[in-house]
Amino acid sequence: MAAPLTLLLIVAVTIRAVLFRSSLAELISERVEVVSPLNAWKRVVEGLALLDLGVSPYSGDVFHETPLMIYLFHFTVDYAEIVFMVSPYFVDCLSCFLASLDRFRKQKYALESDRYPADCLELLRSPKEMFYIPLKVAMFYLLNPFTILSCVAKSTCGLNNAIIALFIFCTLKGSALLSGILLALATYQSIYPLTLFAPALLFFLQRLYIPVNLRRSSFWCFTLQYAFIYVGSLVVITGLSFFLLGSWDFIPSVYGFIFSVPDLTPNIGLFWYFFAEMFEHFRLFFICVFQINVFFYTIPLSIKLKEHPVFLIFMQIAIISIFKSYPTVGDVALYMAFLPAWSHLYRFLRNIFLVSCVLLACSALFPVLWHLWIYAGSANSNFYYAITLLFNFGQILLVSDYFYAYLRREHHLTHGLYLKKKDGTEATLVLK
Amino acid sequence: TDYNDLYCLFTLVQFTKAGQFFSSGHTNNWAVLVCTSRFWFNYRHVANTLSVYRSVKRLGIPDSHIVLMLADDMACNYRNPKPATVFSHKNMELNVYGDDVEVDYRGYEVTVENFLRVLTGRLPPSTPRSKRLLSDDRSNILIYLTGHGGNGFLKFQDSEEISNMELADAFEQMWQKRRYNELLFIIDTCQGASMYERFYSPNLMALASSQVGEDSLSHQPDLAIGVHLMDKYTFYLLEFLEEVHPASQANMNDLFKVCPQSQCVSTPGHRTDLFQRDPGSVLITDFFGSVRKVEITKDTINLTSPVEPPIQRSGSGDIQIESLTYVDQLPVAEIIHQKPKQKDWHPPDGFILGLWTLILLVFFQTYGIKHLKHIF
Repeated sequence: MAAPLTLLLIVAVTIRAVLFRSSLAELISERVEVVSPLNAWKRVVEGLALLDLGVSPYSGDVFHETPLMIYLFHFTVDYAEIVFMVSPYFVDCLSCFLASLDRFRKQKYALESDRYPADCLELLRSPKEMFYIPLKVAMFYLLNPFTILSCVAKSTCGLNNAIIALFIFCTLKGSALLSGILLALATYQSIYPLTLFAPALLFFLQRLYIPVNLRRSSFWCFTLQYAFIYVGSLVVITGLSFFLLGSWDFIPSVYGFIFSVPDLTPNIGLFWYFFAEMFEHFRLFFICVFQINVFFYTIPLSIKLKEHPVFLIFMQIAIISIFKSYPTVGDVALYMAFLPAWSHLYRFLRNIFLVSCVLLACSALFPVLWHLWIYAGSANSNFYYAITLLFNFGQILLVSDYFYAYLRREHHLTHGLYLKKKDGTEATLVLK
Repeated sequence: TDYNDLYCLFTLVQFTKAGQFFSSGHTNNWAVLVCTSRFWFNYRHVANTLSVYRSVKRLGIPDSHIVLMLADDMACNYRNPKPATVFSHKNMELNVYGDDVEVDYRGYEVTVENFLRVLTGRLPPSTPRSKRLLSDDRSNILIYLTGHGGNGFLKFQDSEEISNMELADAFEQMWQKRRYNELLFIIDTCQGASMYERFYSPNLMALASSQVGEDSLSHQPDLAIGVHLMDKYTFYLLEFLEEVHPASQANMNDLFKVCPQSQCVSTPGHRTDLFQRDPGSVLITDFFGSVRKVEITKDTINLTSPVEPPIQRSGSGDIQIESLTYVDQLPVAEIIHQKPKQKDWHPPDGFILGLWTLILLVFFQTYGIKHLKHIF
């Protein structure tokens, strides 16, 4: 396990180092699919330069990073490449401890295995299968072209991914304090990880064998504790950021920017085209609608998946990276790294061919249509938006397909693999 | 006495000639030559403009005083079988695109807006001199337009048009800003006379190749190149101008006779009611050339020397020789305030302290105090 992992690390570092030194680095760092106004490296450098000139970096619409990022990059701006190469490996840590996931699951099944029908044994995963999952997750993340592009472009999306990955790691390890602090840090970076509070809470409740019953006091006790850790660390971090620069400028610049979407540079998300042609008096309404869309799925999904918080985390991260206001391919890479963890669902996936074709084709077409639109002048923004729509459609289809597969597997586990209708003929499952 | 009479007659003639020589009030000449159509089949419009350009340059107007606007590039067009040439006569007799053609507005820059901005002078400060019409109130300007036109408008680049009223207003703006002394306007398009109908500013003379309701026709196709090379009116105008040299006395009445209906099929028109001088007294070279007023004299002139002779040193006693030093002509330090050296920004100490305390606290909370003994 250690040897293949080391080999993988060496390969990943080599690829990134080669690309950093080549002329492609500049080309990639200007692509709109890879960098967004929130996490472009060019803007970080600009903000730090402004700070050196004695001006607040948040003046003007250039810099949208949080003050802790300023602190981090102030000392490492010359070694930025190393910072960005190191950060994906945090996600790697996560994979090494996905083993804890299967340990946990085995524990759960041991309790309930007598409830499972006999023919379901083939659905359960053996430890041998699960042995290679961490390596596969590491490979999926480190060698994913999206991650490599994001890293070479020095987009701070990689750091955000690292924080989210560390958060998941700490959650799975069981440390509520660290998980709360890291979730606060992730929320502080971009607000959307707020929705990960629910799955983390559910995980801890399950781990501590507290049933999710709104009337039990033990539930409320733990919830309040966790919420207190989370909110408290968020307040502390925000206060610290205030003391860094001595002003509250960063709140409208970072959070106001994320929520009100003033910058409509095209990216792979859904916001820009819509708001480019929006009348001013509808703008507030549609901003609210679009932003609620991200947070909206938390409660229903938590209710449905309250026994399966890890899958819920995956779903939430996918929903965030599809519906957030400035997505980049780095966000997509984060949830794609999880896919090997659900490799046992492969037999239940229905649309995997379509989804992979759509995602591959769209990834190839993004630069083509951008060139046609901006440089050749023979296309227009509709072409690019069509590909954006298709890409997001593919992602949504992927996520909903995995959801279906997961639920179907759970259904099979409780009701047997070969389903029969009342009169004995073979039945099919439909997701309603 | 015969000699006296002859002498008087001679001086009288000279005087009238001299009087005539100084009768025009202009001191410099400008030309704005515009071809407004693009695409290969409008080769002839580019050839028209280039032949007028060639004549004007030959007669003395320098490139710095010519604003040449060509909407398309015929010389380097893919369909030109003889690249880098634009011919005006069939059998390729005359190449009007030499190696010293300076185009100021090319391709898509030839727009109505740019044309009007050139005329009125309302250009952004970043516009280079070669793209400006820097005329003053002593300038005679020749404006030549060619392309496709209709009753009251001229088509630019197949996508927009300038109306005769806009043109008249532009010339009025030029008059109010004193941007010309006299202006000669020549247009070679279909129904060209409609373009000068609305002029209302003084000192404008206009010529057009056809009346309202008539089409201006093209002259000759060249079978090797495959398109018509010139329009009839400009072809005969070029032939007329080839005979003109900087000292010629040809006047505007001769220009009005260029290309009668028998040659041109269309009836050329002209308008002189706004012009204050008699057209017969206006020389062709007043507009097409750049004839400088030169006064030749046979007298010698003494120029006073501005340099003073050196002051003689008096006395032969001991002269103290001071050591020579350079005077501090420019006390830089007093003039330029030194900017303070920029200090890099550092995060405040309280912040660093607070942050690392918190990190350490969390670390020990998670991992317990017992690990401390491993560190120390």
